Amino acid sequence: MASSSLAPPPGLRRRRNRARLRTAGFLSPWLIGFSVFFAYPLIATVYFSFMHYNQIEEPDFVGLRNWKYVLTQMPLFGPALWNTLWLVVVMVALRIVFGLGIGLLVTKIKSATGFFRTAFYLPYLAPPVAATVAFVFLLNPGTGPVNGILGALGIPAPAWFNDPGWAKPSLVMLSLWGIGDLMVIFMAALLDVPKEQYEAAELDGAGAWRKFRYVTWPSITPIVMFAVVTGVVQTMQYYTQALVAGKLASGVSVGPGSVVQPGYPEHSTLTVPQLVYSLGFQNFNTGAACVLSLVLFVIAMAVTTLLMRKRAGLLPAEDRSV
Amino acid sequence: MPFPRMRTFLSVALAGAGLLVPGCAHPSVGSDRDDPAKPVTLRFWHGWSNAGEVKAIEDSVARFEKLHPNITVKVIGNVTDETVNQVLRAGGDEAPDVVSSFTTNNVGQYCSSGMWADLDPFMRKTGVDKEKVFPKTFLEYTSYEGRQCALPLLADAYGLYYNKDAFKEAGIARPPRTMSELRRAAVKLTRRTGDGSYERVGIMPNFRFYENSPDRLFAQWGPAYFDRQGKARLAEDPRTKEFFATQRALIRAQGGYAALERFRATFGDEMSSQNAFLTQKVAMHMDGEWRGLMLKDQKAKFGWGTAPMPVPDDRADTYGRGCLTGTVAGIAHSSRHQNAAWELVRFLTVNTDQVVRFANAIHNVPSTKAALKSPELDTDPTFRTFLDIARNPYSTAIPPSVNGGQYIVTLRDFAYDVEAGKVPDLDRGLRGLDAQIDADNLQSQN
Amino acid sequence: MTTTTASDLASTTPRAPGTRARTAAPDRGPAARARRRRLLHWIAVHAVAVAAALFFVLPFVFVLLTSVMSDDQAMSGELWPDEWNWSNYATVFRTPGFLDWWKNSLLYAGLGTLFTVGSAVPVAYALARFRFRGRRTAMILVIATMMLPPQVIVVPMYLVWAQQLHLSGSLWPLIIPMAFGDAYSIFLLRQFLLTIPQEYIEAAKVDGCGELRTLLKVVVPMARPGLAAVALFQFFFCWNDYFGPQIYAAQNPASWTLSYGLESFKTAHSVNWNLTMAATLLVMAPVVIVFFFAQRAFVEGVKLTGVKG
Repeated sequence: MASSSLAPPPGLRRRRNRARLRTAGFLSPWLIGFSVFFAYPLIATVYFSFMHYNQIEEPDFVGLRNWKYVLTQMPLFGPALWNTLWLVVVMVALRIVFGLGIGLLVTKIKSATGFFRTAFYLPYLAPPVAATVAFVFLLNPGTGPVNGILGALGIPAPAWFNDPGWAKPSLVMLSLWGIGDLMVIFMAALLDVPKEQYEAAELDGAGAWRKFRYVTWPSITPIVMFAVVTGVVQTMQYYTQALVAGKLASGVSVGPGSVVQPGYPEHSTLTVPQLVYSLGFQNFNTGAACVLSLVLFVIAMAVTTLLMRKRAGLLPAEDRSV
Repeated sequence: MPFPRMRTFLSVALAGAGLLVPGCAHPSVGSDRDDPAKPVTLRFWHGWSNAGEVKAIEDSVARFEKLHPNITVKVIGNVTDETVNQVLRAGGDEAPDVVSSFTTNNVGQYCSSGMWADLDPFMRKTGVDKEKVFPKTFLEYTSYEGRQCALPLLADAYGLYYNKDAFKEAGIARPPRTMSELRRAAVKLTRRTGDGSYERVGIMPNFRFYENSPDRLFAQWGPAYFDRQGKARLAEDPRTKEFFATQRALIRAQGGYAALERFRATFGDEMSSQNAFLTQKVAMHMDGEWRGLMLKDQKAKFGWGTAPMPVPDDRADTYGRGCLTGTVAGIAHSSRHQNAAWELVRFLTVNTDQVVRFANAIHNVPSTKAALKSPELDTDPTFRTFLDIARNPYSTAIPPSVNGGQYIVTLRDFAYDVEAGKVPDLDRGLRGLDAQIDADNLQSQN
Repeated sequence: MTTTTASDLASTTPRAPGTRARTAAPDRGPAARARRRRLLHWIAVHAVAVAAALFFVLPFVFVLLTSVMSDDQAMSGELWPDEWNWSNYATVFRTPGFLDWWKNSLLYAGLGTLFTVGSAVPVAYALARFRFRGRRTAMILVIATMMLPPQVIVVPMYLVWAQQLHLSGSLWPLIIPMAFGDAYSIFLLRQFLLTIPQEYIEAAKVDGCGELRTLLKVVVPMARPGLAAVALFQFFFCWNDYFGPQIYAAQNPASWTLSYGLESFKTAHSVNWNLTMAATLLVMAPVVIVFFFAQRAFVEGVKLTGVKG
């Protein structure tokens, strides 16, 4: 508060204090929420990462034991990290390509536009659990309609959610089905591209690809960047679909009592968030769960900082100067 | 008063939040000084969800309430172990007094943490001699390091179900008794269609098939997973390698892992009418005693019988053994009415008449010595097989562990790799398995 | 659709000036070639569109068809129901707990939305309009919170709710925090508030309104589309949430929501794909219905997330 050294006149100071109080009042819900539901648990996560705590007996300080266990001994750490990164790269990339494709398609459709837009958009609205249950049924290798049709056509059908090699691609397919959000964003961005630029390019004799490359792409890059950032953030939290798909596809009667290990088949759908749940709420290995949480935190922060540097448009220009 | 700067405010807020950190201990509010003859309401949680089973347990509770008119029992079903674990840790008014679990895996954790109350004092108070009431194996899987924090509430035994029609057609006179007999029978029973794909396999040995968890088949070797110090000793035990070799031989004899896995993918849901044994896609399989009830309900279109699982060739004298497990019941540490809760646990687990009636109703193996001998038990021979397995002195349950049987999960994952041929050096793999199990156990201990 | 005539086509194709005037000419010359090319283009685009539509719509169709099949047929892999058992839906509704799941979902989504919007408005307004020291830091912290996977802080948070407040087994640990500013909603709303011209606010100030009155009387009414979008997003977030209820409500079946219950429904009815599919459609239905009523707010909202940034 360098400015206060000049001792402003009392009236100004009173006004300034009132303004501060007013700002604090308006911000108070968030200030409380941020401290209690974000900062506190984050500190506590660090605290517990050095504790042995089974949520019954008192926490016990164990130094770096949890860290050593998670990073060097826990067999599921590697697969979970790999799956999460795989999904972040493949799922986000394909969603952007597919979303852009569908967005382009929608702008080109001239008949029954309402029908097509609604049809493309609706799956996005399906609650993730419901959509996953539906896909597990559709792609059931034994009794599902998709393999029934493929079989009738003589096309060799994969086992989808039951094949460790196909389980993640099946999840990607499920995410492409719900492309509606990206479709709308891209569609809006594509319609915002000034028409004159296309016409000018046409006059220059540009083909479809060159038009896309030199007119469309530059003007939609910020939106694509935005989609990348939000896509990466969402995919790092990827939980529900992978968990439900693995659980249902395993077909093991999940009778009460049997604790379902996430990641079926062969840990191929195990993501870091699922492992956090499994460690914290199934094994009550609080320390290890908190270590893994912090690993996820560091990766998430690193990735978002990196992407935000690239002007993802999250912090609008006028904010950069504040 | 001037409003402090944002940063100061935040740091104050953070410091305040930090104060909450260590305060996570919760005092045990439980009490064993209540008078079980006073009017009281107990909460009883169980895991049964199937309509018939729910009715059976509710009838049992009704019989208890008749005997103890001062006690009202509020029954909540379909509760998983995950939930029991979480709720007992959280405590609160809704927490149960009497708890049960479908698996014995968590008993070690329940006993060592004190989450389930030690039952020995209650048995002493009410004159129950556990050695006289329960078979030894059952007492083992309900206690951990000397603390008897649970008692068996009916048991499960694993045996062999076989398709009699298929046996007749293949010219096999009786169910196999040794592992090599099993392999030969399996080959004879396997049938293929014109294009070479399976129509039926003799047995589906792959560990992911329905109830085929590796620990259950391994029980036929009677393994000791740990040495006296509690260290995993699967690598040095020759039985481990014999077990894996036997399973792989079964796979090879019937066409290989990949082909069997492809066939397995076409099987219907285990609990449905599309169960592979019911649709005659497998001629033999390992399963628990409860399956018989389902086969009858679904009116299987073929004759079927039950037998103990075969044993290793060099241990033919142990034929009749099988893997044992069961539902267990206990008292929550947080219960304020532990004496009344004990009355319910005692009724459900010790009372011969109750144990027999409940066993007959849900087609499980009774878990007391008296009930196992009761003439009132279902006389169906396909069910009797499992009573004999339960009584067999060689039958074993998996040893309890402090972390919810995580070593079984680790063994299972390892076994998946072995059967898929992903473990070229089994000895090295087993040493790694032991090291992993030890590391996991260490991580769970203080 | 492929039977559309050339003149229909021309009338639906913008940026084709003069096409109609020349349609009378014989199929020769550059105009005809251009027309043929446009026709081929139309066919190509719509063929792709139909294929894509099949990909998006067929799953719904299969789910619907399976939901009315008999128990046995639902497991047969057949596509067309032999008999239309609409009573399956009644069976689902009669499942113990199903109506409670509805009630809980509505409670969670309804209260959650109300709290979120209520608490986000002043915060977003302050971040959009007030100049104060630490504004940029606050904005970065809001975005950081938004980016953070909820799993990072879930364990200690659960311990507080469960062991100190004894509120696990209910939806309150999910609803209460929403009264304290949800980062995503604050961010969205702020982006929207930035688009309201400053003059209106200045005018209100000239009329002697304090900040609070300006906010309530001028800004909130003008921000209605933004508020609607934020409310819708939050409603669907809560409705779809699985992780939250799994952590806090799982312990008590009386607190289960539809999203959580559906998965357990499949577990309990592992053999009844028909009932599971009926339940699945019943979980999807409210979202779709709300969509048709609030289509505009929806699409605006989705665009808001991306374009206005």
